[in-house]
Amino acid sequence: MSNSGQQPTRSDEPIWWALFSAGGVCFAVVIPGAILAVGVLYPLGLIPGEMLGFERIRHLLFESFLGFAGFIFVGVAICLPLFHAFHRIRHGLHDLQWAHGWAAKSACYCSATLLSVIALGLWVAAH
Amino acid sequence: MTSRNIGIMRYNPEQDKKPHTESYQVEADDNTSVLDALQQVQQQDPSLSFRWSCRMAICGSCGVMVNSVPKLGCQTFLRDYPDSLVISPLSNFAVEKDLIVDMEPFLEHLSAIKPWLINSEQSTVPHVQTPQQLARYQQFANCINCGLCYSACPQFGLNPEFRGPAALALAHRYNLDSRDLGKAERMPQLNAKDGVWTCTFVGFCSEVCPKKVDPAAAINQGKVESAKDMILSVFKSSGVR
Repeated sequence: MSNSGQQPTRSDEPIWWALFSAGGVCFAVVIPGAILAVGVLYPLGLIPGEMLGFERIRHLLFESFLGFAGFIFVGVAICLPLFHAFHRIRHGLHDLQWAHGWAAKSACYCSATLLSVIALGLWVAAH
Repeated sequence: MTSRNIGIMRYNPEQDKKPHTESYQVEADDNTSVLDALQQVQQQDPSLSFRWSCRMAICGSCGVMVNSVPKLGCQTFLRDYPDSLVISPLSNFAVEKDLIVDMEPFLEHLSAIKPWLINSEQSTVPHVQTPQQLARYQQFANCINCGLCYSACPQFGLNPEFRGPAALALAHRYNLDSRDLGKAERMPQLNAKDGVWTCTFVGFCSEVCPKKVDPAAAINQGKVESAKDMILSVFKSSGVR
């Protein structure tokens, strides 16, 4: 047991845990909201078609909130949930004893970062 | 009183290669606890070893697995297991003999987080506390160190260096105590990889706790404290106070 007088080093886990927590909130609030609007209410005709029309969505994504609404939406609907999901995958791999340590951690968070950059990059490219 | 069959995991390191289950007949009624049954078996076979003391869920000595779930023997009754009942030693600890496990790793984790009031202030007046100040930590102060939570914790099973539920709950208990000034001494243990951050909030520790301490809640409040501590450390190291 590591009970020596030396202080243990601080874990970097708070950073990943904060992203995981933020992603969890987005997964629970933003994504069900988006699915409800786009996947349920719109096909059922419960919201008028023009609310999700091209011009309105283009305006919402690229012009509202100083032009950053789309950037924020991609962040909360894709990037933060990605960090949430990869955090779970990383700990799941550890629990199943398939992979743990530095390699699994790097693979998971690098994947989340890469996919986030692509998602945000697509928004920038479309701007 | 009716006669019934129970299974007990037996292991004698001097004779057996590995633990094995043996079955015994015991006389039981609605009031027969697992501990009572073990004592009956010991009358039949004095070589059976197990720990016990108070018989009233205060001492925390008689922890065993009952059908693979960590339980206090004195607080668990045969009436709740009408079909089959197998008693085995606490999981995640090394078995010394029969139902006796080596609790040393748990005790080391416990002492590492300094579970006592740290306050060097010399004073002749008592440290008074309001009911509100007491309520902040009281739930976490009920731990009897039985070790059931360590048997329930899959993360402790995978990584025995993990400080574990009871130790981290007690660290939180003293950190919340208005009379205590030792938080700065305890935080490095909580902040470490084997501190609060090994916990993945499975929550089985809180389910099996015989005193309703809820160590899972304590550890997750500890994660918030550790995250705050990390942010503060960034400001402190950059010279901002």
